[in-house]
Amino acid sequence: MSRWLPRGYLAIVYGLLYAPIIVLVVFSFNDSRTGYEWGGLSWRWYESLFNNRAMVEAMWNSLWLALSAATVSTLIGALTALALHRYRFRGKKVLNGMLFVVMMSPEIVLAISLLALFLLVGLQLGYVSLLLAHVTFCLPFVVITVMARLSGFDERLPEAARDLGANDFTMTRTVLIPVIMPALLAGWLLGFTLSLDDVVVSTFVSGPSYEILPLRIYSMVRVGLKPEVNALGTLLLVFSLVMLMLSQWILTRSKQ
Amino acid sequence: MRSALQQPFKTAVLVLVWGWLLFLVFTPNLLVVGASVMTRDPGSFIALPFSLDAYRQLLNPLYLEVFLHSLYMAAMTTLCCLLIGYPFAWALSKVPKQRQMLLIFLLIVPFWTNSLVRTYALKLILATNGLLNNALLGLGVIEEPVRLLYTEGAVIIGLVYLLLPFMILPLYSVFDDLREDYLRASHDLGAGRWPTFIHVIVPLTLPGVLAGIMLVLLPAMGLFFVPDILGGSRNLLVGNVIKNQFLDARNWPFGAAASILLTLAMAFLMFAHKLSKKRLGEDGV
Amino acid sequence: MKKIALASLLAVGLTGCGGSEEPEVLNLYNWSEYMPQEVLDRFTEETGIQVVYTTYDSNEAMYARLKLLDDSAAYDLAVPSTYYVSKMRQEDLLMPIDRSKIEGFDNLDPELVNLDIDPDNQYSVPYLWGTTGLAVDTGDVEGDVTAWEDLWDERFEGQVMLTNDMREVFHVGLRVLGYSGNSTNPDEIEEAYEKLSELMPSVRTFNSDAPRMPYLEGETEVGMIWNGEAVMGRDALPTLEYVYPEEGIIAWLDSFVIPKNAKNPDAAHEFINFMLKPEIAALISEEIGYATPNLPARDLLPDEVADDRASYPTAEDMVNAEFQTDIGDEALQVYAKYWEMLKSGQ
Repeated sequence: MSRWLPRGYLAIVYGLLYAPIIVLVVFSFNDSRTGYEWGGLSWRWYESLFNNRAMVEAMWNSLWLALSAATVSTLIGALTALALHRYRFRGKKVLNGMLFVVMMSPEIVLAISLLALFLLVGLQLGYVSLLLAHVTFCLPFVVITVMARLSGFDERLPEAARDLGANDFTMTRTVLIPVIMPALLAGWLLGFTLSLDDVVVSTFVSGPSYEILPLRIYSMVRVGLKPEVNALGTLLLVFSLVMLMLSQWILTRSKQ
Repeated sequence: MRSALQQPFKTAVLVLVWGWLLFLVFTPNLLVVGASVMTRDPGSFIALPFSLDAYRQLLNPLYLEVFLHSLYMAAMTTLCCLLIGYPFAWALSKVPKQRQMLLIFLLIVPFWTNSLVRTYALKLILATNGLLNNALLGLGVIEEPVRLLYTEGAVIIGLVYLLLPFMILPLYSVFDDLREDYLRASHDLGAGRWPTFIHVIVPLTLPGVLAGIMLVLLPAMGLFFVPDILGGSRNLLVGNVIKNQFLDARNWPFGAAASILLTLAMAFLMFAHKLSKKRLGEDGV
Repeated sequence: MKKIALASLLAVGLTGCGGSEEPEVLNLYNWSEYMPQEVLDRFTEETGIQVVYTTYDSNEAMYARLKLLDDSAAYDLAVPSTYYVSKMRQEDLLMPIDRSKIEGFDNLDPELVNLDIDPDNQYSVPYLWGTTGLAVDTGDVEGDVTAWEDLWDERFEGQVMLTNDMREVFHVGLRVLGYSGNSTNPDEIEEAYEKLSELMPSVRTFNSDAPRMPYLEGETEVGMIWNGEAVMGRDALPTLEYVYPEEGIIAWLDSFVIPKNAKNPDAAHEFINFMLKPEIAALISEEIGYATPNLPARDLLPDEVADDRASYPTAEDMVNAEFQTDIGDEALQVYAKYWEMLKSGQ
């Protein structure tokens, strides 16, 4: 079998995966209102997007939510992974199992159960409910990512640190964290991605006091062709790419 | 021996994560189970007395039909993802290592525009006046625009598009672990390409296949916005039924029961996944 | 250095995005595409109150969400159709409207106030009224379409659009069978379901966010539409025609109501007040094509709008017309069951 057959196949699938994204980006600069024909280059959809106050606010809210959900879930997830890796305790298997169940649960199941909970405890649907929900579905992915890194990690290092008189906290800070930094970053990115991409859970647990993109876009998209949505999608993509390059830069700097 | 100083850290971490999971995973699921065995109430969503009406309603032939149709679409989606994803993951694992990371990364990039936006972009392509029809008409392949939007096919295309990476990633990880020496051994023992594939590669990649099926089949029954946008609010998924019960019809017990049905499907798949891993021994992914 | 950066990041996070004073906000919950942006901008300009405009595509969705967010005082103003006004009023979900804060209530058409749904308009102020009729793209459809019954015609296979509105779709089914569109008789509803399920193979899509769009996009050629949508759609697609079906058109009235727990009822009253200004009411009717119940506003309308039969039907058009009324929760559940079966069936 030649090398070109598999490569050609990869190229075709990537082409299909990226076709809608390319359409999105290209059409965000399309001057035509009807959206299907090319009407010349134009910034007008970006302008009209930024003139739409509610939309811009929802965009910032979405990004802020994704940033905070990723950060919180990385913190909790990393600690959980460390605990699972280092300690023996009762119910470890149950904990593992529960995380696995969260990861595999269809989003809609998670969404309605959280909605029921928030209504029962009387939590107002808004930023807090969204954050709790997003952290919950990001958590297992962070745990898995960090666990994977830890399992390939030399056990003698923390032992050496302890022999030198470091307690667990100091050891974690000075030895473990630098080692798992790449995994933390990967987990954080995964959380950010999942949060930004989510529609199902957000539909259920958000309220008008803190509107995020999915609900804003939902009716817009159903109303018909809205070139502003193309512009919005392009902006999200660019923002995330910038974030990624930033994190890469931080990573290489911290290594030096 | 551990010093007493270590304990607070351990305790704090365990309390935090257990607290989180109990409050935000265990309790909510218990609530859903509770809601499913209660009675619908027009005022406050659910009320006593306990009843199994919701489950009886699930067995109503018409709802059963909806679930079967949803299952059919989800199964088609999974099958397509598998057929596309399996050779893809294989080919991916053959690419030089440094380049693999970049290619994996490229699989994730599309997620950075919200999935709703990507579904909308698909609509631009599939519409009757859309890009695909225009291109085919322009090339003279077809005479009349093909009706693609608002069909079952459009829903499946949308689901495959959104979920393909979830099939590829676990498959890639099993192909990545597939040791070349197994294949060579099989070859040296005189097995041809095809027997090697059937007797060595397929069993070794089975856990990845099942993980992929789990990650695709279950969401494919829940992503309610895909039929809303690409299916013309027809070709409903179980997710649409659940959403309607909670956000339109306000029949919480029924919505909860439908959601439990999905959970049971998940449990079944997880069981199958575990079995396949057991058969391969614990080192198989 | 790093710590300072982290601390400042946290500080920004805790105080939300920007420490400037919060402007007064009105949370308006309304149908998609049911108010021109210009009107909202003018309201903000005049009063300094920001309008957060959130949308829904069915009364059921609006009602369910209001109930869900009941305690958190999420919305200050909503726009239910007739039958939901009475439902919400009876369930004590609404705040009485303080008429002393409302000027211009007398502008409203006497025939559209003090209806059974809300005697003396204690809880609601009419916004717009309209009809749901037939849309026909005469560019593609040959032959006449004059009745709901025609939708069942074989020539329209795969080209029919219905609104994503349970009551309206069943209204059509019931009228075709000769029953009232407000039937509460389970047998009649079931019969309508049977009739409608014969139509399903022809139905391409349901749409209540913007029922004109499937016609403009070339996906459908005939089906249901709201009159305002037909008027708006004609701008882009001149061959889109609005037809009053023989069995009778569906008529409805949408009114402003203030949810009981509204956070900012003063702003809500101010907004209603603003809507009752004749020039604003006229602007809305002209822009989105529905009929205003505001009589002085009608005099301000350009002739081509006031004489547009789609927006303002003649007495002849309204023969057989039926206003949607409240049918009670029990009947609604029957409808809901068949509705779901209808939409899920193939």
